[in-house]
Amino acid sequence: MRNITFQKFRLAALAISLSTVAMLAQAQTVDVASAEALMKLSKCTKCHSVDKQKDGPSFKKTAAKYKGKPDAEAKLFTHLTTGPKVKIDNVEEDHTIVKSKDEAEIKNLIRYILSR
Amino acid sequence: MTNVLQKMRARWKLVLGLAILGFFASALLVFAGAAGLAWTSTEEFCIGCHEMKNNVYAEFKGTIHDQNRTGVRAICPDCHVPRAVGPLLMRKMQASMELYGHFITHSISTKEKFEARRHELATHVWKRMKQTDSLECRNCHKFDKMSHELQSPKAQKQHAKMATDNLTCIDCHFGIAHTEPTGPGPGEMKFD
Repeated sequence: MRNITFQKFRLAALAISLSTVAMLAQAQTVDVASAEALMKLSKCTKCHSVDKQKDGPSFKKTAAKYKGKPDAEAKLFTHLTTGPKVKIDNVEEDHTIVKSKDEAEIKNLIRYILSR
Repeated sequence: MTNVLQKMRARWKLVLGLAILGFFASALLVFAGAAGLAWTSTEEFCIGCHEMKNNVYAEFKGTIHDQNRTGVRAICPDCHVPRAVGPLLMRKMQASMELYGHFITHSISTKEKFEARRHELATHVWKRMKQTDSLECRNCHKFDKMSHELQSPKAQKQHAKMATDNLTCIDCHFGIAHTEPTGPGPGEMKFD
């Protein structure tokens, strides 16, 4: 081909689309082991089960509640890191704050929850 | 006197020797039995099987019944083996089926096989707990000796429900020591 400018453009377009797909794919993958380890550390399972109602909603229920909502991850991130008041059996309690300062790790856990 | 008794009387030293021997043999059997019961009720014995060590024991490590502020902990028999003599011996005899599963049928010898049966195995324990009003929990956790005022308001309210809602410990406190299986929990299942 003789049009160098077009060749460069094509190469750039390819690079951008490939890396976008890679980033998107990476953003969707869930490191289950890491999520479960953080869950154990933060003692989430004291009140939450994957599929059963305990003091708190099951992860399946939460995933269904936030299905298709674009702000799900952000809302859950706030919930897990700020320890808001929650009501269990009409008794108010502070929600446990997740035991991690690593944003990626917390977001992975959120993705885990939302994918149940 | 009959013929047998006459013979025994004639050789009384032999009879006495045999009786003493019999006494010590019985005593030895009793001690061996007790030692066997004690040894098979240790943590080391239970995790001698990889099915236990790599699955349920690995999950148990780090949980509150394993490691906590005071170091007071529960080991396998505390929750899984009854303390009363009759049920204890029954459970030990039942455990021979576990040997069968380990050595002969390899029923849960791989991670996949174990995960496939996790809920079923949990159900065995939940069933026993529901039928005995969570007897093994109550070996250590005495409800009447709880300082309820030291518990959280949520816990106080929920424990009060035990009397009114016909609940037992395991209905709410499950999946604590080992990873909770997916599927119906003890609160949802009916065991007759």
